[in-house]
Amino acid sequence: MTVLPLLWMVVVAFQRPRAIINREWTFDFALTNFMEILSPDAVFGAQVINSVVLVIAATAICIGLSAFASYSLSQLSWSPRVVLGVLAAAGVLQVVPPMTLVPGLFVTLQNFSLTGTLGGLIILNVIFNLPFAIIMMKFYFDALPKELRESAYIDGASEFATFWRVMLPLAAPGLAAVAIFIGIQVWNEFLFGLIFTRGGDEAPITVGIATLVQPQEIKWGPMAAVGTITAVPIILLAVVANRQIVSGLTQGAVKS
Amino acid sequence: MSARLGAATRPTAPASSRLRFLRRNAFKYGSILPLAVFVLVFVAFPVGQLIWMSFGDITLRAGNFMWEFAGIDNFIRMSEDPLFANSLRVTAVFTISGVALTVVLGTFLAFAVDRVVRQAQWLQNILLWPAIVTPVVISVVWLLLLSPQIGLINKILTSLGLPTQTWLGEPTGALVSIILVDVWHWTPVVFLFVYTALRGIDSSIVEAASVDGASYGQRVRHILLPLLTPALVGVTAIRVIMSVKAFDEMYLLTFGGPGNATSVITIYLRSVFFESFDYGYGAALSVTVVLLVIVLMVATLGGRALLRRKARG
Repeated sequence: MTVLPLLWMVVVAFQRPRAIINREWTFDFALTNFMEILSPDAVFGAQVINSVVLVIAATAICIGLSAFASYSLSQLSWSPRVVLGVLAAAGVLQVVPPMTLVPGLFVTLQNFSLTGTLGGLIILNVIFNLPFAIIMMKFYFDALPKELRESAYIDGASEFATFWRVMLPLAAPGLAAVAIFIGIQVWNEFLFGLIFTRGGDEAPITVGIATLVQPQEIKWGPMAAVGTITAVPIILLAVVANRQIVSGLTQGAVKS
Repeated sequence: MSARLGAATRPTAPASSRLRFLRRNAFKYGSILPLAVFVLVFVAFPVGQLIWMSFGDITLRAGNFMWEFAGIDNFIRMSEDPLFANSLRVTAVFTISGVALTVVLGTFLAFAVDRVVRQAQWLQNILLWPAIVTPVVISVVWLLLLSPQIGLINKILTSLGLPTQTWLGEPTGALVSIILVDVWHWTPVVFLFVYTALRGIDSSIVEAASVDGASYGQRVRHILLPLLTPALVGVTAIRVIMSVKAFDEMYLLTFGGPGNATSVITIYLRSVFFESFDYGYGAALSVTVVLLVIVLMVATLGGRALLRRKARG
C-alpha cells in the first residue's frame, strides 16, 4: 500500500507520453521524459543545484545557531524563566502555519532586497526549522551530565573549549539526527519557493515540479520523472539514516 | 560550580568585577547572541509588521506598500467574509477527519502488527517513506492515481468494467480525496509512533494481567490503552498541527477547488495575498489564525497537564 503508488510514478516516468494518456494498459519503456528534463535548455538542472545549496546552507546555519544557543540555555545556568520563554516562543513558531507570516516576511525580505534570491529562501527555511533545532538540541544537551563541564572547566579549559572539544562531540549523534531531519524538511519545502520566486532557474526543485502541473495542461511524463528524481535521495536517506529520522519524528512529538 | 558563578555575578567592586563578570559570562551570552539577532530581525520584526499591517489599508504603489490606518475595519470585514468562514469549516473537516482516521488506523495497525510480527526493521523502513518523501511528490503520485484522464484508479476501474471516477472534479469527491491522501501520507507515522510506544511497555505488566485471566480485549482496554495515552495525545497534537499547516497537497491536487470545496485556510490566505493583493485584510486574517492556533495549543497543553494530574491521582 505504501510502495505501490510511489512505484506507479516511477513506471509512468519511464513511459512515452502517448502510452501515459492511453486508457488501455500499454507500456512503452523509454527515457524520453528524463531526456526532456535533463536537456541543457531545461531549468531543472539549475533547480536541483538550488535545492542542494538550500539544504546545505539552511541546515548549517540552523545547526550553528541552535547548537550554541541550546548549549548555553541548557548548561550555563540561565534562569528557568528565560529558558521557558525561549522554548515557548519556539513552540509557538513551530505550530503557526508559515503561510500566515508571509506578509511580514515579504516586507522584511524586501528591506534587504532578498526577495526572489536564494539567500532569501535560505533565511526563510532557517526561520521555520530553528524551533525544532533549538528544542531538540536543548534536550540532547540536557542529557549530558553537568559534572563533565565543571571538571573540564576546573582542568583549565575555557568555556568555548569545553563546549567545542567536550560537550559538542558528545551531542554529535543528536546533532546528526537533527541535521538530517532539517535537511529533509528544506529539500521538501515548497511554499516559500512558490511565493518568493518566479519559478524559473532561481527556484528550488519542488517549485519546478509544480510548474509542470498547470490547470490547462499537465505534463505527465516529465512531472513523474522530476518527481522520481526528487524522491530518490529522500528514500536513500530513509534506508541509510532510518534510526535518526525515526528519532527525529517521534521524539519531537513527545518532547514538544 | 553554580555557586561560584553566582558569587561572580554579584557586583561588589564595580569596575574589576564587571570585567570579571563579562569574562566569565562572555560565552554564555555570546553563544545566544547570534540567535537573538536573527530572531529579532527575521521573526520579531516580521510579526510586528504583520500586526501593524492588519490594522491598515494597504495598497501597492510602484512596488511600495502604502499604509493607511484602517482601525479594526479588516477584522470587521473578516467576521462577514463567507469565504473565510468556509475556509475555517473546510480546515476543520479536513483536520478532524484526517487526524481521527490516521490515529485510529495507525493505532489499530500497531496493535495488529505487535501481535504478529516480532522484528520489523524493513517494515519500519518502508513505512517511513510517505512521511518524508517531498509533499509535492506525494501530490504528483496521487495525481497519477486520481486523475480522471490518465489515473491508475480509472484504468483499473475500466478494466473491471466499472464506471470511472471524477472525484477531483466534484466538491465532495475532492475533499474526500485530499483526506484520503492525508490518511495514506500519515497513517504510517502514527503507526510507527504507537508501535514504538507499545514495544516500550513493560511486558511483565501485561503478563501479570493475562495470568489473572484478562482477555486480550480487556488487556488492551484496561492496561495498554491507558499506558499509551501520552503517546496518543502527543501524536494527535502533532497531526493537528500538520493538518492546519497543510498547503502543498491542496495546492497541487485541487487548487482549493472545485469552487472552494477544498479551500483550507492556507489556500485561502494565499489567494487573498497573491490574487486579490489585499495585504491589510490578509494580515488581519493571519493574525486571527495565529491567535486561534495559539489558543488551541494552550488548550491542548492545559488538557495534557490536567490529564497527567488525574493520572497521578
